[in-house]
Amino acid sequence: MANDKQSSLLEEFIPQIERTSFIQAIWIFFLLAVIALGFYALYLQIAEGHAVTGMRDNVVWGIYIVNFIFFMGVSYAGALISGTLHLFRAEWRKPIIRMAEFITIIALLIGPIYILLCIGRLDRLQYLVIYGRIQSPITWDVIAIATDIVGCFIFLYLAILRDLSAIRDFQDAKIPNWKRKMYHILALGYQGLPEQKKRLHKATDIMAGMVIAIAVIVYSVLAWIFSVTLQPGWHSTIFGPYFVIAAVFSGCGVLIVVMWLFRKIYHLEKYITRKHFVNVGVIQLVLAALFGYFTFSDYLTKWYGSERNDELLIQLLFDEYFWLFILSNYVGVLFPMIVVGIPKLRTIGNITISAVVVILALWINRYLIVVPTLESPYLPIQDSRTEWMFYNATWIEWALSASGVAFFALMMTIGSKIIPIINVSEMGDKPVPEEEIL
Amino acid sequence: MKKIKIAYFLWMVTILMLLVPALSAQEDNEPEEVSSVGTYLNFSTLYSSNDSVELSAKLSIRRGRTFIELQNAPITFSVSNGTDQLDLGEAVTDSTGFARLTVPLTPPLPADDEGLISYQADFQGTDKYDSSSEVFMSKPASLKVSFFEEDSIKYIRVTGMQFNPSGEMEPIAEESIYLFVPSLFRPLPIGDIWLDEEGTGYVDFPPTIIGDSTGQILVIARIDEHDLYGFVKGEAWSSWAIPKYFLAEEKPTRTLWTPIAPLWMIITLIILLAGVWGHYIYAIIELVTIKRIAKENEY
Repeated sequence: MANDKQSSLLEEFIPQIERTSFIQAIWIFFLLAVIALGFYALYLQIAEGHAVTGMRDNVVWGIYIVNFIFFMGVSYAGALISGTLHLFRAEWRKPIIRMAEFITIIALLIGPIYILLCIGRLDRLQYLVIYGRIQSPITWDVIAIATDIVGCFIFLYLAILRDLSAIRDFQDAKIPNWKRKMYHILALGYQGLPEQKKRLHKATDIMAGMVIAIAVIVYSVLAWIFSVTLQPGWHSTIFGPYFVIAAVFSGCGVLIVVMWLFRKIYHLEKYITRKHFVNVGVIQLVLAALFGYFTFSDYLTKWYGSERNDELLIQLLFDEYFWLFILSNYVGVLFPMIVVGIPKLRTIGNITISAVVVILALWINRYLIVVPTLESPYLPIQDSRTEWMFYNATWIEWALSASGVAFFALMMTIGSKIIPIINVSEMGDKPVPEEEIL
Repeated sequence: MKKIKIAYFLWMVTILMLLVPALSAQEDNEPEEVSSVGTYLNFSTLYSSNDSVELSAKLSIRRGRTFIELQNAPITFSVSNGTDQLDLGEAVTDSTGFARLTVPLTPPLPADDEGLISYQADFQGTDKYDSSSEVFMSKPASLKVSFFEEDSIKYIRVTGMQFNPSGEMEPIAEESIYLFVPSLFRPLPIGDIWLDEEGTGYVDFPPTIIGDSTGQILVIARIDEHDLYGFVKGEAWSSWAIPKYFLAEEKPTRTLWTPIAPLWMIITLIILLAGVWGHYIYAIIELVTIKRIAKENEY
């Protein structure tokens, strides 16, 4: 049962769920329009084949794979951040943890779609199960992502269960019957009984630990798809931890932007304060330093080793992709560090701008990992047209990428229309005594 | 008036400041006299056991402290005994700057009274590079390597011979010869021999040396940087080395490319999946229990 504080919070946040403003309706319509454009692009891709994309015999992976890595990274970051903050009982987490949980699950649903977009023969997809071999990193990835989706759904469900029961019990809510029925079913009869509380608490703690472990394993598996491959730039032992760090780094950026947007849309200035931005910003600063360290270490060893194809790759990065490389690995690392490192610059606006820079930098980072390597293979590119040797994404790919971002925004919007974007139940709880933490 | 003087002074300084760099730039633009680059020739000879001599000249230029080898440069070789000169031929330098020419020693090459042959390497030079020339004097010699067994002991024998001015052979007496076998980066020394009055010496065949899979090994005898002979090399194959056995590779039954995955992979995967899904099941059981508790509480 909800206490007084929780009831007053529900009263404040229930309008979010009850009605959709005109501007919100336009926003949803806009997102649907972008998604529709993506569907049109998908239709063309299916009707005319992958020739409509920039992918060819040599560069077989393009921005679909970049988007896949990016969204999966964002998802794992959400899981890591929400899981860790939950386990450490960080009090300041309460207003933002729901957002991290939403990011986790929504990004995790979008990421694998890009793999399906990248596959040329979807009619043979079942072969992955029928003839799948345990030795293949692709099989590891399929198992890992499936496991992660289930784990994250369970974690999210456990995290929202109390809010579901609180909305179910909130009689003044002006919501349609189907929605009330949905809350009734999903709340599983939770009444806040001591035994229920204890069991929910225990299960949530266990799943928080699991999603952290799974996030590390699954993103490492994704990194191993690259690093077990004998390709210049990919065959690196550091890729596992490097990908995990990059994922949490980009996820922090997405979390900050989402915090800023929801704070503006739902007027959450009272709950999401500068302190929250600075705290997540400090995590972002530490991750920026680690990401910079890993990047430098990876490229330094490749450069010093003077292996011919690694040298060609580094030359390509510093020649053709010079500005992208600088933006990704220098600006993307230094900018968030400067913004959060200098106290005078630690404003909500600045931290949000730094988060946008981080998101862009990390997307480009994944692009620079995937594309230039395929453009400089060990085996010489022969009997191929010049325009096929290098990759340029077509509007079809950009449209499908934009629709992925639109779908993410739409799901976040719809999610906030089903469950309050701030964890009402936890906000109403008393702070956990220090001796009970972990 | 004073203000006008200061303004005038400042104008002059400004014009001078603009003029000086412009004038100096003009000086810089004047065409410089391009001088050709000096070249360096390193030249030596190597006598081998098939009674021939390999002439080897390395052409390079100097840039600061480093030497840069010149490629595709024609080097002409000749011999002289002071009165007669005989052209031996021409060779072009390779990517390492070396030009090599092998010349048979029969009929004998012109030599001086002591039997010394004066070899000469010449680079004619081009518009860019100066010409250069180098002389290397040496006396033709040869080293013959052979093997024999006595009282169950295996020996390497080396016989050194030199050509006297009349073209006849005579022994190389009281000289040290060094023995090697080929190895990955540079020849591996296996011993040395002192040649007696008859130009012959021998040493035990090393019992631990490893050859190819049939026990064959190439033994090389060398004289390096000798005042009289320069470089001399003789070589012969022996079958006395320890045969190198290649261990038959065991065919792995569980590898990445066999239908069955490696055992460690299956075990790891089972542990990971069982651990994770076990916790999921626990969490789901807890959710079911929460619902059951709610139902019990209703009644």
